[in-house]
Amino acid sequence: MKARGIFLLCALALVSLTSCARNKGMVVLLPDPDGKVGRVVVSNKGGTQVLKNAGHMVEVPDADKAPLPPVAMDAGQIGRNFGEAMSLVPPPPIHFILYFKTDTTELTEESRKLLAQVLPTTVERRSTDVSVVGHTDTTGTREYNCNLGMERALLIKKILVSLGSDPAYIEVTSHGEGNPLVKTADEVPEPRNRRVEVVVR
Amino acid sequence: MKILSVMIGTLLLLAPLAAPAAEAPVGSVKAVKGTVSIIRVAAAVEAKSGTRVYRNDILRTGADGSMSMVFRDDTLLSLGPGSELTVNEFVFSPADGKLSMVTRLLKGSAVYLSGIIARLSPESVRFETPVANIGIRGTMFAVRVDPE
Repeated sequence: MKARGIFLLCALALVSLTSCARNKGMVVLLPDPDGKVGRVVVSNKGGTQVLKNAGHMVEVPDADKAPLPPVAMDAGQIGRNFGEAMSLVPPPPIHFILYFKTDTTELTEESRKLLAQVLPTTVERRSTDVSVVGHTDTTGTREYNCNLGMERALLIKKILVSLGSDPAYIEVTSHGEGNPLVKTADEVPEPRNRRVEVVVR
Repeated sequence: MKILSVMIGTLLLLAPLAAPAAEAPVGSVKAVKGTVSIIRVAAAVEAKSGTRVYRNDILRTGADGSMSMVFRDDTLLSLGPGSELTVNEFVFSPADGKLSMVTRLLKGSAVYLSGIIARLSPESVRFETPVANIGIRGTMFAVRVDPE
């Protein structure tokens, strides 16, 4: 009973400690690897700030206080605050985009050559995480397209394994018509969207 | 009969533990340096390149640690020393139009490059911290949370 009382006291002390802990924060907008600069919105109970320029920083003094207006941060300051995390940013996953001959389960000549590069790339990246993702255009129902994408993806996995890839590393999935390469309206035939993507991470 | 009920009992006991494995991973570890751990259902999992990361995992780096991971939707994330991050929500299911991603940095530093979910549905992606939330409009940013 006594032990339980002490435990409760400790638990209470811990709760009050964490709820009293105050934090401050900062957010820095960086250019994408391809040079493009997007936008982030920093907001809390106190207010909102928008970051639009690469290298600009918003400081947040407290959870209850509004984020401060953006200010420029030099490379040295960014390095001191984020050097370790920045040095480990992984290379973007490689997407191999494969096409079939119209109305067949036979790959085009180019795609067959491309498929042969998957294993060497996996080895070179020392990747143990590969996805094979089936995609379709928007003709037909969502459900039909989901199944069709899965069928195509399973076929590609089979070929990859026959070429020497480790099946344990490969995950197969279908995005159906929901992740097109070229955006179209519904019920639009688009050969560029009927594809399988092999993603090597 | 007794054996059967013991078996069912065992299965029931195991069911909650098996849950995270039944769910698809949200991504995988790409690199680690120094002390890094993944806490899954209150147990530590070894973090090394290729380790699958699941929803609700806690990624934790020590004072000498840093790590990076790649999400299923190509989002790239790396953590500096003394960091703690959870993936609270990750739904990447374009086939039925279901997309969402909520990541929370509790402390330390992170660099984040948004992926396909942010491209298909920017309003479905949120990065949370104890001091502010970050809405992402397709981009790369660095964020840091320190005790005052």
